[in-house]
Amino acid sequence: MKRLHRCFAAALAASTVLLAPLAPARAQDSFYAEAAKPYKGTTIRVLDEITPLQETLSKIIPEFEKETGIKVEWELLNHFEVINKGQADMLSGRGYYDAIMLHGFQLGPMISAGAIMPLNDLVANPKLSNPNLGTSDFIQNPFKTAAFVGDKQYSFINWNYNQIYWTRADLLGNADEKAAFKAKYGYDLAPAETMEQMRDIAQFFTRKKGEKLAGKPLESDFYGIVLEGIKGGSTFPTLWNNFVKNYGGNLIDAEGRPTFDTPETVAALKMWRELWTYAPPGIAEYSLVDVPTVMGNGIAAQSIAWSDFVLGVDKKGVSPYAGQFVYGPIPIKAGSKERFAEAEPSVTVISAASKNPEPTFIFLQWLADRKQQDKLIALGEGGVPIRESSWALPAITGAANKTLYTAMKSTLDVAEAKPKMPKFYEIYDVMSGIAQEVGLGKLSPEEGAKKGQAELLKLCTKCLL
Amino acid sequence: MASASEPIPAADTAAKMLPRERSWYPYLLIAPSMLMLVVVSLIPFLYTIYLSFHAAKFGRVTDFIGFDNYAVLLADARFWNSISIAATFVFIAVPIEFMLGLIGALVLNQNVRGRSILIPLLFMPAMMAPIVVGLLWKIMLAGSWGFLSYNVLERFDILPGTSVFASPDYALYALIFVDIWQWTPFMMLAFFAGLQALPLGPYRAAAVDGANSLQMFTHITLPMMTPLLAVIGLLRFIDAFKVFDTIYILTGGGPGTSTETPSILANKMTFEFWNIGEASALAVLVWIAFFAFCSVFYQIAKKRLNAF
Amino acid sequence: MAEASDRPEGSKGWFWTGITIVYALIVLFPIYWMATMMVKPNDAMFARPTQWLFTPTLEHFSYVLDQGFHWYLLTSFALCSVSTALVVIIGTPAAYAFARFEMRGKDDLFLFILGSRMAPPVCLVIPFYLIFAKVGLLDTFTGLTLAYMTFNLSFYIWVLRSFCRDLPVELEEAAALEGWSRLQIFRRVVFPLLRNGIVATAVLCFIFAWNEFLFAFMLGGKAMQTLPVSIPKLITAQGVRWGEMAVVGMTALLPVLAVVFVLQRHIVRGLTLGAVKG
Repeated sequence: MKRLHRCFAAALAASTVLLAPLAPARAQDSFYAEAAKPYKGTTIRVLDEITPLQETLSKIIPEFEKETGIKVEWELLNHFEVINKGQADMLSGRGYYDAIMLHGFQLGPMISAGAIMPLNDLVANPKLSNPNLGTSDFIQNPFKTAAFVGDKQYSFINWNYNQIYWTRADLLGNADEKAAFKAKYGYDLAPAETMEQMRDIAQFFTRKKGEKLAGKPLESDFYGIVLEGIKGGSTFPTLWNNFVKNYGGNLIDAEGRPTFDTPETVAALKMWRELWTYAPPGIAEYSLVDVPTVMGNGIAAQSIAWSDFVLGVDKKGVSPYAGQFVYGPIPIKAGSKERFAEAEPSVTVISAASKNPEPTFIFLQWLADRKQQDKLIALGEGGVPIRESSWALPAITGAANKTLYTAMKSTLDVAEAKPKMPKFYEIYDVMSGIAQEVGLGKLSPEEGAKKGQAELLKLCTKCLL
Repeated sequence: MASASEPIPAADTAAKMLPRERSWYPYLLIAPSMLMLVVVSLIPFLYTIYLSFHAAKFGRVTDFIGFDNYAVLLADARFWNSISIAATFVFIAVPIEFMLGLIGALVLNQNVRGRSILIPLLFMPAMMAPIVVGLLWKIMLAGSWGFLSYNVLERFDILPGTSVFASPDYALYALIFVDIWQWTPFMMLAFFAGLQALPLGPYRAAAVDGANSLQMFTHITLPMMTPLLAVIGLLRFIDAFKVFDTIYILTGGGPGTSTETPSILANKMTFEFWNIGEASALAVLVWIAFFAFCSVFYQIAKKRLNAF
Repeated sequence: MAEASDRPEGSKGWFWTGITIVYALIVLFPIYWMATMMVKPNDAMFARPTQWLFTPTLEHFSYVLDQGFHWYLLTSFALCSVSTALVVIIGTPAAYAFARFEMRGKDDLFLFILGSRMAPPVCLVIPFYLIFAKVGLLDTFTGLTLAYMTFNLSFYIWVLRSFCRDLPVELEEAAALEGWSRLQIFRRVVFPLLRNGIVATAVLCFIFAWNEFLFAFMLGGKAMQTLPVSIPKLITAQGVRWGEMAVVGMTALLPVLAVVFVLQRHIVRGLTLGAVKG
């Protein structure tokens, strides 16, 4: 009896070994189940942000619990809360959450505070580290810049938030508008590829109530563009990566010395200011949530917005203009060779105060695993890829709003996590104030560049980690 | 604190007549409350003082650094900006609330009918959750879609092309307006209650002497009301200085730093920058200022008004 | 309510009444407007020109219920009730003692109480967060109850003391001469006379806790979400849900409405910290 039992077990083991190469998917499954064995019954708490992407992911999480026996308390909060609460939890050393989603820009302050657990030991541990994770399939630029500092790894990659250019096909394709545009500007009306075109289109479509738009009289004012302009949020990153960098300027140089006071920055700020004059009066109140809503309500012709929010708005039943939107890469300065675009590669890190780093690490790998990523995109009928292989998935190749994915890809190709600046929040806060003041015309572009540089120097002369 | 030259409050005289042999009794009665207040009020305060003398970036309390946090704070233009913003807010909002409240109270005192319905209704703004007040005024005044922005400002071409909460020039005044909306009715009702409690005798005597209503107001009403006006005004002054929720929701201190009061700045220093040491220094300074206001309030209320 | 002046102005009463009504309507209009948003369909919400008439909808209510906002309501209610009850239990004897007895350093103690009521909550939330994180009180019922003590206990003692001082001390003296014990005097003489004052002050404490935002936001969390803190949840990836916000905001207003009608003049006394007898 006993011998028979042992025989059976041996056969079973042999068959697993033999079958393994034939069924890679099953082998991967069993990796997580196997690695998680010592941690069965553990509960880990994970804090993430609520966007359409995470709403879809929520449906997949229970499969991890089934597969590994590790319980996941999965909490979603909105953008501002997740930053506020997540950081408070890590920095106070409370350690309620084992893993917390951080935007790329949060990494500088959090790493310098020692609040994030480096993953090197866990990655080196063969019992915990999945050899088939396929990190080379991650879209490399965002992954490399977000997950590593020097020789330390702090995360994999979880969300490739990125900005895209967004406009209305029904307006840009209207014959009368096209003719009028050509007559006025001397070139064909089409989605903007350069900042200058974006400005022309913004100017062209800014109209008062009663004027005609695509042949119909307007019941209320219509605006050429809508941008994020709220204090905080991503107003400053938008200005920095899409405008300042595309004009050849930057916030800091490679050594971390402030370099905001350049003619390039001034030129970018001029464009920024000009675009604000074609935007709705409430622009300085618009957050990253409001911008897509305004586009969805159809009161503006163009926008630069976060693509994941587009997924929630360009849907039948959400916006009456769904299906009439068209997207493009972030416009660059006319004649410029290099392309920059705002993206916020974001990662889920293990809190230094976590009492369950091992099961949390298993969970993080499981999340980034190709199987889950494929499922995420299939279930969400699209999404924002973190893996190169995802671009070939049917949900993306066959998507109704195909231009959205070309736009996304162009941004992600150049996407980088923010430089790791310990004083990012202070910088961010003062610079977003300046972005508002320049946009509203309170400061001239020259004054804005000068004030920005002065404020930066007050905060740090070497701003990098 | 009471000196012999001051009138002795009636209750204290009466209390002396009670049996005094067991003098521990009152201390027993206040013990639970005082213990609780020591835990929830004194300990946090002392901890804040402790933090303000230490380097505590990112919540990691390290070296004792003496008054460095205070020095950094006092040298920071942003700190002084926040003080001047709060001062502007308080010195515009409170006098307006005060004057409108006084006028309103005098109106209400003119045989207004249906007071038992009007008075509770007028209390609503003062009793609302500040976050709901913020929401309400966002709906009323926000950008291009607010009810008043569209139906009043846009229609009559007031401030064309601006959104009040998003404008560095007007955001602070918009917040002042919201504060006035919220607190004028309360001032009005508080003053009205004071008017109702005035004795009738002096008015009868003045009427016999043929005084007109303006004379009665300046010679009788105003002098009798002064301590009450002072106490309520000071109370509102203190409360207005620490307004947080409505500003946090409506502008978050922006645009730029144009509505950044010390409360907003302290919150930002703590939960955004995690400059705990400096934020604690700010908290301690604010606390000291408040304590000074409180003692003034207490002295006036106790000695002039005999209220407490 | 006795008239303070008998100046001959009764005939003009209706004129002043009219003015007061107009003023009240202006002040209350934003609240009315928010109330209509509870049943306004989304496309009419911010329609330009403003749409005064619309077919009412219950979709905002059903969303709010679907998302489980009634649990936040329950949390708010439980938290406010318990913290108010605690305030009454430990605060009532203290208020009585401060009104009736002489104590060494009474003025200083009293100023300390006033100081706790007046301290800006922003200054308190820093040490609270750090201390609570260390002792594990974040996101707990106990933690928030304690935090609410800072403003409510001191407020309660301060205001109830002014009610205590209105009581004629002779009754207590008479009872003491009868040989009643301290406890008997308090239970049979003081408490019945003080009951209205206790109810009025306690209800105000309840409302302050009910409206509180900052402590609940920073010291609460998944387990302890109060109604005001739940409002930002309605800023979703699909935009801000204004109709739902109106529903939650008006729900938060309901107890306030009830209170203002029930308490009437006591509110003045409460909000002026007892300076006005109301």
